[in-house]
Amino acid sequence: MGQSDGQIETFYDVMRRQGITRRSFMKYCSLTAAALGLSPSFVPKIAHAMETKPRTPVIWVHGLECTCCSESFIRSAHPLAKDVVLSMISLDYDDTLMAAAGHQAEAALQDTIEKYKGNYILAVEGNPPLNEDGMFCIIGGKPFVEQLKHAAEHAKAIISWGACASYGCVQAAKPNPTRATPVHKVITDKPIIKVPGCPPIAEVMTGVITYMLTFDRLPELDRQGRPAMFYSQRIHDKCYRRPHFDAGQFVETWDDENARKGYCLYKMGCKGPTTYNACSTVRWNEGVSFPIQSGHGCIGCSEDGFWDQGSFYDRVTDLTQFGVEANADKVGLAAAGVVGAGVAAHAAVSALKAAQRKTQDKKEEA
Amino acid sequence: MTDRMTDTTTLLVGPFNRVEGDLEIRLEVAEGRVTAAYANSPMFRGFESMLRGKGPMDALTLTPRICGICSISQSMAAALALADLAGAEMIPNGSRVAQLLHMVENVSDHLMHFNLFFMPDFARPIYADRPWHGRTVERFTAVHGSALKRATEARAQLLHIVGLLGGKWPHTLAIQPGGVTRAPTARDKVRIGADLAAFRAYLEEVVIGAPLEVLLELTQIEQLNGWQTGDFGLFLEISDNLMLQTSGVGEHRYLSFGAYPTPEGRRFVPGILRDGTAGELEPAGIIEDLSHSWMLGPDAHPLHGQTLPDEDMREDAYSWCKAPRLRGESFETGALARQAIDGHPLALALSKEGSVRARVAGRLLELARTQVEMERLLAEIDPREPFMRHVKLPQDGEGVGLVEAARGALGHWFRVERGEITSYQIIAPTTWNFSPRDRSNIPGPVEAALVGAPVQPGEDTPIAVQHIVRSFDPCMVCTVH
Repeated sequence: MGQSDGQIETFYDVMRRQGITRRSFMKYCSLTAAALGLSPSFVPKIAHAMETKPRTPVIWVHGLECTCCSESFIRSAHPLAKDVVLSMISLDYDDTLMAAAGHQAEAALQDTIEKYKGNYILAVEGNPPLNEDGMFCIIGGKPFVEQLKHAAEHAKAIISWGACASYGCVQAAKPNPTRATPVHKVITDKPIIKVPGCPPIAEVMTGVITYMLTFDRLPELDRQGRPAMFYSQRIHDKCYRRPHFDAGQFVETWDDENARKGYCLYKMGCKGPTTYNACSTVRWNEGVSFPIQSGHGCIGCSEDGFWDQGSFYDRVTDLTQFGVEANADKVGLAAAGVVGAGVAAHAAVSALKAAQRKTQDKKEEA
Repeated sequence: MTDRMTDTTTLLVGPFNRVEGDLEIRLEVAEGRVTAAYANSPMFRGFESMLRGKGPMDALTLTPRICGICSISQSMAAALALADLAGAEMIPNGSRVAQLLHMVENVSDHLMHFNLFFMPDFARPIYADRPWHGRTVERFTAVHGSALKRATEARAQLLHIVGLLGGKWPHTLAIQPGGVTRAPTARDKVRIGADLAAFRAYLEEVVIGAPLEVLLELTQIEQLNGWQTGDFGLFLEISDNLMLQTSGVGEHRYLSFGAYPTPEGRRFVPGILRDGTAGELEPAGIIEDLSHSWMLGPDAHPLHGQTLPDEDMREDAYSWCKAPRLRGESFETGALARQAIDGHPLALALSKEGSVRARVAGRLLELARTQVEMERLLAEIDPREPFMRHVKLPQDGEGVGLVEAARGALGHWFRVERGEITSYQIIAPTTWNFSPRDRSNIPGPVEAALVGAPVQPGEDTPIAVQHIVRSFDPCMVCTVH
């Protein structure tokens, strides 16, 4: 691990040691600035911070999950950003990637906690199940919830990766057989950054972690605890199919003529109007595409409780999920509410017509 | 430690790193060898209970979340099961796109397994005196090796295809019972072609070290002995030196549901292979045995099975994993099984060996074969034809979807009443491979393969055990779900 006396190296030291060239380093700084929406004047500031600040250690732990967050992060991100961030975090503890195994791995975790007490960031992927004293997810003979609490105790801050850690996600879907519980309901005394999505976009993950490592502070969060830089707008707001929505041009069935023309997927159940995420701007798999671009509606995977809101193929009309707590998304709610009302009105008109027809039929029968 | 000449020691190995999900194995060791192994999957989420009461189409979104690395396999199985419920089939052109998506995912998984999960074990200090160690450290040191970097890049580019056709990976949404939501244009075809060409170049240059067709023409294991090129060559050299051809030998029973159903039939055919003899696959003979799992209820065929976790975690059971058996026998599943059952002569020969080397070589052989299939599929996609047909689901009925994930046979069985799912059972590849013992006390495939593995004095996580376990490429998140 390089240093033995508790003195932590700078980011730049680490990168150089990992074989990243000065040129790549500067490129990385510009990429980061761009990803974070900062002006080019921030590039030297980022570079300076990384050259002088001690590296922030990161411990990455896994609970009930499918590893999709790691997959997204490790394997789909921009190679440079991924390399850099990975080379920094992998120095510490991550279950899926580490070289060690078994007790060695457990010891490595303990060492890291001891060594960087109060100084490290705890990244949590997945969540702890609380039923049966946590026995549905066991790490090293102990329930994951214990590992989580133990690692959280001396963490500076916690990142909840993905919908699992942020909201419970799929394993918390009704009837939530294992009582899978989001991190913030188990750890209540630490700052928690939620990075929801199933999985979150790779660039969003690297962006958040780089911001924290570089500026040594939490990014600005909305009231739900999500980084505002990536979660302040709805997919709908920046969707490239938005003009078709406004023009009332919709896909009616899969692969119809309208689908080939790339019309709006609202009628196919797209949840873009109520989902806060960066898919329509950052996109997926190195910016290649995102679900709506592939012809399938958004399923709202970065929203709380998205599993239990009825079929993924129903239109967005029922918006009660936002009634649970008032939050910064009220504006969006209002806008989506209008959309919902429009559809409801349309449905009412159709019903009225049907009723009229029935009455007429009856009259004719009579 | 204990006197190894007389006593049996018990070792608890785990948690395992570099496998997907959580795994623990209890070993009984005597005279420096494993005498019995018990595989425990310590994570349970309860997907099958969540699916009950939901609309059948929700399976398309829920089941992929079982696993972040084989999510397309889960969506394929769900889509096929839904189509089966409706008595429909994917429209041919849509089916080709869906199969291409699935191939890309399976190939990516094989690549990651070899580079990120399997090979790094040989870069450990324990092998410092071996002639190949220096080269292996350079190529495969966990996280930093040069091969890992290259593999990750190659895979990211290959996944552009999924990005383009499926919108996002992991957890792609595009695959539906009637076809796919994205109709690729002629321009998309060109882009995909470029990504495939780049991937072929990577395989030929780095992994295999020769034109793929040269590897595909091999028929006997002896021909592998002279193979020196690519990382495949390095692996074979290590295998030879460590005798991996005699390590982790299984029971020579293989099963494949058949991979990639297209209008022209499954690209890799279904079947079973028992001691070198081929047979028909009869899915009706599958029973999930619950005698050693923390599950309640009777043993049953998955169409009638239940998922009732035993919250007392009773003494005589030791895993959340059920034990699937076909006509009372355990079966190994995966790339080696698939290729041997499809009749590739080299794979057939390797299946008789049934070792750590055979499993890994089988996987690399499949990488090459699948690349060729992907190229063929792409050529067959016609952008002018429809990619989706409307499928109307009945309110009541049952459906079965059988596919091959990277790690082997994956099946979804479900029933619907009045438009709601009343039962949904999934058997994943690792459920087969890492199953616990059954009612007749017959161990699961990995438990059997571990018997005889050497344990060096002082080893608490025996290196031989790790090679054997990883040679199966376990995906524990899928196993129990």
